[in-house]
Amino acid sequence: MTRRTGLLLCLPALAILALAFLWPLGILARMSLNRTEDGRLFPDITGETYVRLAEDAFTWGLTFDSLRLSAVSATGALLLAYPMALFLVRTRSRFRAALALAAIAPLLVSGTARVIGWLAILGDQGLVNAGLAALGLPRQPLINNWTGVQIGLTESVMPYTVLALLAGFGRLDTALEDAAATLGARPLSTFWRITVPLTLPAILGAWILAFVLGMSAFITPKLMGGGRVFVLATEIYDAAVQTLDWPTAAALAMYVLLLLALILAAQSALLKRVGT
Amino acid sequence: MAQLELQGLRRTYAGINAVDGVSLHLAAGSLVALLGPSGCGKSTTLRMIAGLEQPDAGRILVAGQDVTHLPPWSRRMGVVFQSYALFPHMTVEANVGFGLRMQGVGTSERLRRSRAALDLVGLSDHAGKKPRQLSGGQQQRVALARALAIEPTLLLLDEPLSALDAKLRDELRVEMRILQRRLGATAVFVTHDQAEALAMADQVAVMERGRIAQLGTPEDVFERPATAFVATFVGRSARLPGTAHGTTTRCGPGSHGSTLHTATPHHGPVTLFIRPHRIRLLAPGAPALDGFPNVLDGTIASIDYTGATVELVLDTPAGRVPIDLPADDPAWRTLTPGAPARAGWEPSHTMAFPA
Repeated sequence: MTRRTGLLLCLPALAILALAFLWPLGILARMSLNRTEDGRLFPDITGETYVRLAEDAFTWGLTFDSLRLSAVSATGALLLAYPMALFLVRTRSRFRAALALAAIAPLLVSGTARVIGWLAILGDQGLVNAGLAALGLPRQPLINNWTGVQIGLTESVMPYTVLALLAGFGRLDTALEDAAATLGARPLSTFWRITVPLTLPAILGAWILAFVLGMSAFITPKLMGGGRVFVLATEIYDAAVQTLDWPTAAALAMYVLLLLALILAAQSALLKRVGT
Repeated sequence: MAQLELQGLRRTYAGINAVDGVSLHLAAGSLVALLGPSGCGKSTTLRMIAGLEQPDAGRILVAGQDVTHLPPWSRRMGVVFQSYALFPHMTVEANVGFGLRMQGVGTSERLRRSRAALDLVGLSDHAGKKPRQLSGGQQQRVALARALAIEPTLLLLDEPLSALDAKLRDELRVEMRILQRRLGATAVFVTHDQAEALAMADQVAVMERGRIAQLGTPEDVFERPATAFVATFVGRSARLPGTAHGTTTRCGPGSHGSTLHTATPHHGPVTLFIRPHRIRLLAPGAPALDGFPNVLDGTIASIDYTGATVELVLDTPAGRVPIDLPADDPAWRTLTPGAPARAGWEPSHTMAFPA
């Protein structure tokens, strides 16, 4: 295939990308440079929204909280998904397809429905607290706080990490683990010296995917945080819809975009180093 | 005492006996080839010896010790896998040293011994490379060095040459055999290539559907095959169906049939096997010579020059008859496909198996 046909084949995707992503992004960038005063929008070109946000300690708190929430849920999801994906890749069970489907089935349910499910489990009268009460233990506040959001978000990004890991495990050759075993490596040793290093690119990829999804997650922090959990995504929503402060919403959106771009750049640099 | 002894090894997959009662004695320093078509159970047998699969019945003894229930990491067997299974994220040296590292051998000793193993296979210059920077033949050598570095009780080779092209395969086969002899390693070699098995092994175990159909020296299985399967799988033959009455067998249809002689008596439907190098090309219509009471007339179907030999195929009413002639023999130069020809051979070179 020549360069030109390659480019031609990419054209529809590029066109859609330009129309549905770059164009709105341009509008957003432009919007972030506007100015509002008493709820009125002035089409200026000024960086004062950015300056105001940068000087506000709240923005930095939000940034830290959002990064922490995404990192913790990405890590949690990865730790839960890794053994699952490894099992799915290995098993010769005839239920394999059904199990794989079960692992990613949460994707088939709307995010809102899943949150409501979690509320039923974690709520004050929910399953967990009913269980604690039955054991004579004190009830734990598990919703409308960071704990609840953390649990919900971890669960909501986990199917994606399973998928990303499964895709990345394709090149994991079980003969390598057999070879390690015959050379005297016990299973745990084989796992750390062979399996983990070989799946590191998949691990990194899955983690980044979960992290990015976590950064842009809106439903879970909003509904499970009960209005007490603030992250960048919810703040953007509030600025755009509640206070109608579009320049602030746009500036925050641009800021999140920059953060994610930096993280993706760090990931690809890291991948180059670990890539075998 | 046998270095390796298998006693009635059995392994069942989904109700089918993949390995069905395999027993074997292997003297220290010798090499046995497990030879057979795919699905005959040879690889499963090897994996059970390595401890990578558990037998459903039977025992595995190494130097008299029962290792049947030992995990693979406690068996210290050097395995060379078909895909080599080199660790892609480690250097050649780290690959070779991996087994020693697992044994807890110290760094300097480990380096010395992995260098020595790489020296054995002539790859000391490539110690710092990653496996993917090496050619297929070099990777195979690294895999061999890695298996040898742990000074294994047994060397297990699972189709180690099948991923290489023909020329390299022959070279490495010779190298491997020389090395195995020099080190006095006891080895089990799994292959589906009969030429490889005959050339490499002290003992060949021809396997069919989970069982050993014949165990013997390469010459035994080639010259004195125990069953029609062994005769078919090892080497080429003329295969002529017929009906035996004592030492004579009628082959071919009715009036066009021929009476062929065997050295030993048989009865009923049989298949006669004759090796191509045992068959002489005779002039058409010539009287049967002394020593060649078996003759078949036919026409030449093909003439293939392969270098050292010329492989002829004769179509006769009794069946196809391949004949190998030395290329030095000028007789083949005057032959043309379609021309009449006669094949003749001795009764003692005629093997008969019940059909």
